[in-house]
Amino acid sequence: MIIDINAYLGHFAFRRLRHNTAAALLVLMDSKRVDKAAVSSASAITYRNAQAGNEEVAAETSGHRDRLIPFAVINPFYAGWQDDLKICHEEFGMVGLRLYPKWHNYQLSSPCCRELASAATERGMVISIPIRVEDNRQRSWLLNVPDVPLEEIVELVKAHPKARFILLNGIGYTGCPLGRKDNGLPANYAIEMSRLSAVLANELGQLITNLGAERVMFGTGMPFNYPDPALLKLEVLDASERDKEKIRWQNAATWLRL
Amino acid sequence: MTIRQTTSSSREHRPHISRRTLLKGSAAAAVAIGAAVLPSACEAVEQSVPGTSSGPFRKGKVIDCHAHLTHHSRATWEADDRKLIEAADKLGIDQLCCSTLTPRWPATLDGFRECNQWTADGMRRFPGRVLGYCYVNPGYGREALEEVRRCVGERGFIGVKLYNEYTCTEPVVFPIVELAIELGVPILHHASHSHYFVEDQPRMSDGGHLAELARRYPEAMLICAHISGGGDWEWTIKALRNAQSVLLDTSGSVTDQGTVEMAAAVVGVDRLVFGCDSSMTAGVGKIREANLSAQEKEKILGGNLEKLLRRRKT
Repeated sequence: MIIDINAYLGHFAFRRLRHNTAAALLVLMDSKRVDKAAVSSASAITYRNAQAGNEEVAAETSGHRDRLIPFAVINPFYAGWQDDLKICHEEFGMVGLRLYPKWHNYQLSSPCCRELASAATERGMVISIPIRVEDNRQRSWLLNVPDVPLEEIVELVKAHPKARFILLNGIGYTGCPLGRKDNGLPANYAIEMSRLSAVLANELGQLITNLGAERVMFGTGMPFNYPDPALLKLEVLDASERDKEKIRWQNAATWLRL
Repeated sequence: MTIRQTTSSSREHRPHISRRTLLKGSAAAAVAIGAAVLPSACEAVEQSVPGTSSGPFRKGKVIDCHAHLTHHSRATWEADDRKLIEAADKLGIDQLCCSTLTPRWPATLDGFRECNQWTADGMRRFPGRVLGYCYVNPGYGREALEEVRRCVGERGFIGVKLYNEYTCTEPVVFPIVELAIELGVPILHHASHSHYFVEDQPRMSDGGHLAELARRYPEAMLICAHISGGGDWEWTIKALRNAQSVLLDTSGSVTDQGTVEMAAAVVGVDRLVFGCDSSMTAGVGKIREANLSAQEKEKILGGNLEKLLRRRKT
């Protein structure tokens, strides 16, 4: 069993994506033996009204809920986000969020974002935060969206000890408190592995040592990314099969209550 | 899956990721394959290997065209270099074409000479696994040319590595290109194209510059470095479409779906060479997954580079 906690549907404004419909993504997942994937709207990253992207994902995944687990993209500075959250959770059956503070131009420390984190936690939804969408060096001439600083994540997890966060598309955790042993932070966050190294610096191995395999989750970033690099990391990772199973699917299944 | 310990004296390696899985693009469990025992770096380029069933140019060798050994100012350089070989072992990479870069640029004469000495040492420490690029700053003129001649002619380096000291279309670079043509060795040129000015690399080359250089020197063997770590890869691929003599190195940390397929469609698989540039699983994974035939992947993984290295004249 493999569960990908970091997958997407829809269009991205600055590059054509392949395998970005439910049908096509399922074919790709089959070819990679990925059983389930948590998906959110790639379009909602640049839509002003992110809820339109959530509606697209809800419709696209409607016949495939056994394999595609829809997540909502919510912008807490956009009108009606409370209504959107309620609809996404209660009508669309979305069990988690994806937040884009830099793309949607708000601070994780802002009262609106804190309110969203509390509301999602009250609903039992997990909150995932992609540290980046794509490599900044290839950005369009139209914009310059920085990665989410890990220091801002540190403050967020401290402020919401009862919330559950999954950090996506990140790197460099071992260089900050998030990836260090006995860091004094609540154990309310897990780290997705698509950009972590499994050889050379082996950040993945360091995180398993420092935080435990229970805090690391498998993800690919498909269809933005090729899934094989992430699969390859698990294949070459120097870890017990028990730990690999936790990373492959068990942790995600626990967090998403599958 | 157990991870085998590898030492610098290891004379064989058993990859966790086999050539077969790389070529098939399968995520199935890897089947370890034995690899040929290889001779010294210099011999590895030129000669067959006594006592092995296939020479160094046996079909299907996997060669990382863009790798680096660690600068010795880093306390962990020896362990870091060993980790690179261990990673190659795990991932089924037979050989790594390495340069050692200075930690600061522009590189001084003593700085790049020292780096090349360490690359030569690396070739001896990991015989047959590490092939050397001679790194120079073209601004040193005669001394830079002498260094290239010494490294290629006497030390058995397989090519030249140029970084960002000068844009490749600046005349100061031309004598290095002319010498590489004379010696019959490739130049791996650092390159990137971003849609903004990269302040810390004001003389960065991009695919357009390399295409211009190739028009001036059509016989030069130019490799455009890391299309997956050099900004807008779609721009780079398109900029190099008509520069037939320029190869594109697939290395870099970016794993954008479709990169390899677009490069193959636009410039052709004969102009693609596999590399990692230290992003090991990214480098291998994108080739394993790419929607290309096994024959096409064999060319990218090593066939195209081997063909290039056979053009060596010294």
